[in-house]
Amino acid sequence: MKELKKNITRKITSHFSDAAVKEYEGNRVDFTVKKETIPAILFYLKDEMGYNHLSHISCVDWIEEKAFEVIFILWSYSDHLKVFIHTRVDRENPVMDNIDMIWPQANTYEREIKEMYGIQFEGLEAPEEFLLEDWEDMPPMRRDFDTHAYAMKTFWDRQDARKDAQDVRETITRRTGEELPDVAKKYSR
Amino acid sequence: MNDKVSQKIVDIIQNYARQHSLWVLAYGTGCGAIEIPPTMTSRYDAERLGVRGAATPRQADVLLITGYLTTKTLKRVIRVYEQMQDPKYVIGFGSCTINGGMYFDSYNTIKALDRYLPVDVYINGCMPRPEAVLKGFAKLQKLIQAGKADGSKKYKENLDWYRANQKEVIPVWRMPEFNW
Repeated sequence: MKELKKNITRKITSHFSDAAVKEYEGNRVDFTVKKETIPAILFYLKDEMGYNHLSHISCVDWIEEKAFEVIFILWSYSDHLKVFIHTRVDRENPVMDNIDMIWPQANTYEREIKEMYGIQFEGLEAPEEFLLEDWEDMPPMRRDFDTHAYAMKTFWDRQDARKDAQDVRETITRRTGEELPDVAKKYSR
Repeated sequence: MNDKVSQKIVDIIQNYARQHSLWVLAYGTGCGAIEIPPTMTSRYDAERLGVRGAATPRQADVLLITGYLTTKTLKRVIRVYEQMQDPKYVIGFGSCTINGGMYFDSYNTIKALDRYLPVDVYINGCMPRPEAVLKGFAKLQKLIQAGKADGSKKYKENLDWYRANQKEVIPVWRMPEFNW
């Protein structure tokens, strides 16, 4: 396993100068690259290294750093090794390359990320709507989208329905005579 | 014997027959659908109460809303409910249908099902166990026997109110106005 990890790290860093490595325990290696390198590194991993299974494409919203992080997770059936490819996309202008010519199933993940985070994949051929129907607000998985305010605005709320859930912890502590921990006090209604 | 008395006798016989033959539409909207197989099969055996699954909306009597309803599913559920033939009843299943449950701040699930469909019986719990489901069915049977399970009548009478509420959460209405 260590041999394999050392081998792939050496190969990737020698081919792609912008690749930063982060090592984890077990069968996992992480690389962080620029977004322009993504098609090249994925083609290289699939054709040269035998990483021909795309497990997932994930996305994280780093609102403080004004960036979206897109993560490609690959798996090799021969090496039994997971490879994570991280990349950062600018939050103001989230555009990156479409990769569904490498793996056709990437199309589905890209549609979901496009709808939930608003990242545009250049040349992605897909219908406009995927999971949401008639959605007009900002993409809902962005962290500056306030789901609670939106739900209160859109859906009718049964106002008194949660009254009985208010003082459960305090009632229990009063009954048993225990002290309420600080963590519970913070989240107690 | 005058008309009123004979009508009453007919109603009693009708309600007795209806309460012992509840056909439940096999349509799971949320996670609560996982409680239906143990309720229907040998462990809890709902069939001894006359509760059985039906394949299509037109053959079913009871619409079980099992758990959270997204606005996307609500469209389908409204179509399904309006296709069902009288007598028809709705059971709201789980706390999500009552007040939103753990999805109270979700961007796409409705809270309070009875704003959009007439609910005859609510079963609370997250999720309700098969015993609770059976108790809900027993309650519905009692209501039918007493002639109080008149949700579909209420829906027809207050259709404007229900439609207005439905159109609040479904801005683009692509369905026909009347389905029956």
